[in-house]
Amino acid sequence: MTDISSAKPTGDLASGHTVRRYDQELAKLRGIILEMGERVVEQTQAAVFALVDREDSHAFRVLDREPQIDFLSLDADEEVFRVIVRRQPTAVDLRIVLALSKIADDVERAGDKAVRIARQALELKEFSTDSGCLSDSLKEALRQLDEKACCMFERSIQAVAGFDVAFALGIFEDEPDLYQASNKARKLLGEQDREGLTPRQTVCLLTCAHALERIGNHAANIAEQVIYVALGQDVRYRNREILIETLRHRGY
Amino acid sequence: MNITVDEMEKMTGAMSSAELASERHSRTTVGDFTAADPRMTCRNVDVWYGSKQAINGVSLDIGKNEVVSMIGPSGCGKSTFLRCLNRMNDTIDGCRVTGSIQLDGQEIYDKSLDPVPLRAQVGMVFQKPNPFPKSIYENVAYGPRIHGLTNSKAELDELVESSLEKAGLWKEVKDRLDQPGTGLSGGQQQRLCIARTIAVSPEVILMDEPCSALDPIATAIIEELIDELRANYSIAIVTHSMQQAARVSQRTAYFHLGDLIEVGETNQIFTNPQHRLTEDYITGRFG
Repeated sequence: MTDISSAKPTGDLASGHTVRRYDQELAKLRGIILEMGERVVEQTQAAVFALVDREDSHAFRVLDREPQIDFLSLDADEEVFRVIVRRQPTAVDLRIVLALSKIADDVERAGDKAVRIARQALELKEFSTDSGCLSDSLKEALRQLDEKACCMFERSIQAVAGFDVAFALGIFEDEPDLYQASNKARKLLGEQDREGLTPRQTVCLLTCAHALERIGNHAANIAEQVIYVALGQDVRYRNREILIETLRHRGY
Repeated sequence: MNITVDEMEKMTGAMSSAELASERHSRTTVGDFTAADPRMTCRNVDVWYGSKQAINGVSLDIGKNEVVSMIGPSGCGKSTFLRCLNRMNDTIDGCRVTGSIQLDGQEIYDKSLDPVPLRAQVGMVFQKPNPFPKSIYENVAYGPRIHGLTNSKAELDELVESSLEKAGLWKEVKDRLDQPGTGLSGGQQQRLCIARTIAVSPEVILMDEPCSALDPIATAIIEELIDELRANYSIAIVTHSMQQAARVSQRTAYFHLGDLIEVGETNQIFTNPQHRLTEDYITGRFG
């Protein structure tokens, strides 16, 4: 008699197909997104370095490398179409393909934010006569925001690598810290006179702070998709605190 | 605060250890096997071929105006279960069916019940089209004639026409009703068999892989027909094509080694099945 008490699948959700090629196709799709994610983290860090430490070369490098992420995004779309056409995915496979498609979009948009920061870094220099126009406290606030956003984004990519619910929940738990770091940077920028910034420079820096916060938001969107894949539940627009408490209780 | 395992499972909606043990014992299917408005009600159905048990305590309703698809690997018992629904297994030596199967509240395995009219009420369409070696007209007229459903030739003509209409075949054959049914294409023959089934006014239509011998165009026509027939009949379909199950049915039941593992809304089964075996099967991780 069949033991029908079995729980939901364990192990790597994207593997174990009778047709091994199917495993490879899903692994390829996920690999593209993981590569995109790594590049976005590098791009963001380089862009913030260009902004805070006034290194133009880093900003130009970010701009040069942007198309690579865009091309990977196109590759991801092509793989999504290919898997749908060839395999007609169902259940967890369908969720993986749909989620990876949305995740690719979020990663690509996070890459755009890094480019936005690099552009602002170059623009900021245009309007600055003094290369050290940023105060130490403002530099520190921006670095902290960058660190938090990049950390969340990196973890979201790690969550995708294993469709790991615990990692995804960790990103939700980091959101208050992200907003706190963002608010701190904004508050300092609100005191532009004290910081010695022109309105134009303030707008540039506010744009950067907003872009970093958005990168953190993209990480949270990715975490939502990871939970959708792993648990089959759409947790978008759910109360985060209740969600975290419920899933942590379940042992994630 | 200390929380017991059972309390935590209750809080999180997970099945408790006690429930799991009980479920294993009672062979309860995952999901709701009942229908809101059932036409057929099956409870704890066991089927034996001699000493070998082919179906283990399956409970499943087939609701009015719904299509229920049964999926599962070869030998899982889905066709055996389907054949129980109109007592087709009576013709197999050594086959024994226990449990309860009711059609509109009437026990179909009641010894006083004649299986011949039952098979008119619960018609069947087989994997391979099997028209009688007679004319197209006679293929459809045969059932109503032996069941005495019409009083005149005109009535019979009308019934043949309406049945062929409902099966989506009338326009294609109206000018050659006297030609042999076996001369039609595979898809047309299958629709002729459906017309033959409809002609005796069934309440339930059973379909055992009705499209497995057909090309994609003929399959699409049959699937469209199934959707139209749902307005008037209850339909249970066994299929090996999961895409077909997803397309034509409102509920899907997954069988495995004689057990009904999981049953649920088709959308749910194909997007988020609750049982690992169901998920493994529909995602191609079987075996």
